[in-house]
Amino acid sequence: MKLLDLQGYASPKDSKTHIRIPFELEEGCVKLNLRLQYTPKTLRLLKESYDLYILPEHREYAIANADRHLPLKNLITLSLDDARGYRGACHRQDEVQDLYVSDREASPGLMAGELVPGPWSVTLSLHCIVTDTCTYRLEVWTTEEDSI
Amino acid sequence: MKWFACELHTHTLHSDGSQTLGELAAGAANLGFDAIALTDHNTMSGLSGKAEIERKYGLRIIPGMEWTTFYGHMVTIGLSAFADWRQANRDGIDAGIENVHRLGGIAGLAHPFRIGSPACTGCFWEYEIGNWSAVDYIEVWSGTFPSIQTNNRRAFDLWTHKLNEGYRISATSGRDWHAQGETDDPISVTYLGIEDDAVAGNGGSTALSLHEETLIQALREGRASVTIGPLLTLTLEAGDALYAIGSTVPTVVERREAAEDPVRANLTLDFSVRTGLWSLQKQVCRLKLCSNLGEELNLEVPSSSDEQMMQFEAQLRDSTPDIPRRWIRAELWGTVRGVDVLIAFTNAIYFEEGGYPR
Repeated sequence: MKLLDLQGYASPKDSKTHIRIPFELEEGCVKLNLRLQYTPKTLRLLKESYDLYILPEHREYAIANADRHLPLKNLITLSLDDARGYRGACHRQDEVQDLYVSDREASPGLMAGELVPGPWSVTLSLHCIVTDTCTYRLEVWTTEEDSI
Repeated sequence: MKWFACELHTHTLHSDGSQTLGELAAGAANLGFDAIALTDHNTMSGLSGKAEIERKYGLRIIPGMEWTTFYGHMVTIGLSAFADWRQANRDGIDAGIENVHRLGGIAGLAHPFRIGSPACTGCFWEYEIGNWSAVDYIEVWSGTFPSIQTNNRRAFDLWTHKLNEGYRISATSGRDWHAQGETDDPISVTYLGIEDDAVAGNGGSTALSLHEETLIQALREGRASVTIGPLLTLTLEAGDALYAIGSTVPTVVERREAAEDPVRANLTLDFSVRTGLWSLQKQVCRLKLCSNLGEELNLEVPSSSDEQMMQFEAQLRDSTPDIPRRWIRAELWGTVRGVDVLIAFTNAIYFEEGGYPR
């Protein structure tokens, strides 16, 4: 059953903010599925700046030495709370994350365990938005006992 | 005192690492570590299967979590439960540290001067700390071959500055280890000192005879020595008593007639640790005693290629009453990869006389 399909837009001024997205989990869920995606992932501007402003013979050196931090990346991470408390976080750079939690298993970062009915929430942490606009989409759906 | 080789900052694929806990433990055991702290970003789910992996590799795994926040990365270890990292206020970290303490854990600043946003949001420490006494440790060395990096030098200077102000804060290294893979870089080790009677009976010098809390307590109390080579340790001898790294020399001992009963420093360089896993070119190194009074001793010492233990003794000069000695530590300097760098340093021994703002 679909619980959430939420799309939003973020800009650099939304960097360093959390978005808490509550939802209600009903009795009978055996697997909770989450999908987070956001785009674009990287800011290409610097690459373009290099092409524009740096002599071709110097570009290779500049890029090689800037690589450690470039290209600049948007980073949105997801953490999950159930009706009783924290269920973990998925802190990584992937711009598409298909995640789940169930009684016995969970995606890396999340904690398996009872799917207690009640108020749950996803927190999206917008660590850094470097592009003018970043589109994100969060889908949450349940898999019920009888659909397995 | 027995010294256990620890790596206190690691990640798995439960956050942004690309290794399982088993792969991490295998790699750590191969590098001669006795213990690691798993400090995944904002989650502790990676600890699943910990007991079995500890037995398999003879390696203690300390539970931890790196608070990966917008204004700083804070390594926490030894918590009994989750402490929420999702506070956004730059002046709110004191409450966060308090929460970590309430749950039995300790907290340290991770790589406080690494480049921050937008290259790596939160990697540069921007929290305003109201109560520095609550900070348990500063990760003054981050990454491999840490002592060559300017951001680590800034972190080391921050630690020294805080010691000068009278705070008692431990210093550690942390590789911030995300993936297995060969490296030629020197690897740093944080040795934690465990009292002999805290190492369980049956001759157990292996890490598995230790409770994780014993290791955390050692770090909490500053019984730590950090190195990319030999193990450097320091004790002070005063008034028939011996003071180890992390301990405090009481005023009554310090104030004795110095001429009759001077404070003696015993320094040990142990070249036999983690045999074959590091090397130092043949050279004359400099062994120093440094305190808030400056450089108190600078000895030229040979590096050893035959795994021996070297001991040195020195007598501390009297500190003048108007500038009391607050802390003292040992440092080993020498050439690594053609660069003059800090090779090893101990945590501090403190002096009660020097005051303490706690």
